[in-house]
Amino acid sequence: DDAAEESNVSAELIALRKRLVDEWNAWRTLHKKELGEQKSLKSQSAREEKEEIE
Amino acid sequence: MRPILLQGHERSLTQIKFNVEGDLLFTCSKDNFINVWFSHNGERLGTYAGNNGSVWTLDVDPESRFMISGAADNTLRLWAVSTGKCLYTWEFPTAVKRVAFNEEGTQVVCITEQRMGHQCAIRVFNINKDGDGTNQSKEPLYMFNPIGSKATVCAFTLTPNVIITGHESGKVALFNVKSGEEIDNNERAHSDVVTDLQLSKDRTYCITSSKDKAARIHDTKNLMVIKTYNTETPLNSASLAPNRPYILLGGGQEAMNVTTTSARQGKFETRFWHKVFEEEIGRVKGHFGPINTIAVHPGGTCYASGGEDGFVRVHHFDDSYFRSKPYGDMEIMD
Repeated sequence: DDAAEESNVSAELIALRKRLVDEWNAWRTLHKKELGEQKSLKSQSAREEKEEIE
Repeated sequence: MRPILLQGHERSLTQIKFNVEGDLLFTCSKDNFINVWFSHNGERLGTYAGNNGSVWTLDVDPESRFMISGAADNTLRLWAVSTGKCLYTWEFPTAVKRVAFNEEGTQVVCITEQRMGHQCAIRVFNINKDGDGTNQSKEPLYMFNPIGSKATVCAFTLTPNVIITGHESGKVALFNVKSGEEIDNNERAHSDVVTDLQLSKDRTYCITSSKDKAARIHDTKNLMVIKTYNTETPLNSASLAPNRPYILLGGGQEAMNVTTTSARQGKFETRFWHKVFEEEIGRVKGHFGPINTIAVHPGGTCYASGGEDGFVRVHHFDDSYFRSKPYGDMEIMD
């Protein structure tokens, strides 16, 4: 019984950790996407400025 | 993981910083000096002399051309990294407690102390990189007094003209440096002084440490608390380990309280916590007093800690650090 309980606990812990990792990765993915958009916006406006100068 | 002991400072360390490549380690101290060392072997490359008081803070630009420092002699100084020459000195009514470059190295933000009728002030300076760097403008580009609790730490965010600050009260806030307006705040980010703030590589999140014994990861855009690490000692520094899901914490009781506890010699430890699971995973001991400042190599290959004991210890991670997967095979993004 004890052994069964122990393996249950660790299964729960593994599930919790999996959830934490998934949450973290989802948050990081979101940020990296935003960052990519920001950077392309920046380079775009930089290009436009250059064109204006020319 | 045999540490390299950097001996050269005669008093406690206040801040340490790697340059972008990580080959150089800059250290400043209450002994009025700044030193620069080769991080791979601990050899001292040079000293930046000229300050007449404790050097509280420093930062290096992304090209490793200029270094900026703030000190108790009320000066902000710009140094040439390669020659050790002081290129420019700004003077204020009170001590400079924190400095930081922006991502491009074109601007510097600094915090001056609240003292003798002077309010805490935040100033932003443009850094003129033309010529030899001695031609700087005396006047700040922007200056303001943050409302409420005084600021203790600061850094530029990704948004132009927006800085993130940590405060004496435990508050973490976003300020527009142009208008001095507080854009957003988290009054209860910590319940005591914020002692350190270090950004992730992409500046989208940061880690803070506090005397309230906790460290936290915040989203730099909206100040949301993402993670909390609760320890049992006041924390002086927190650092993010690139490429591995770990954070490093350093602290310890104040020197004056040490004798009243059972703290033994060399027992002040750098604590490693799992960044995502918020669990402590290990400690590295060695310092003879509280750890004041921690920095991790930008490539994640080593870390350095600076202590109240006047020593800097550089620890190069061994293979097992990179191989170990203490919580299984899950892929964790940086």
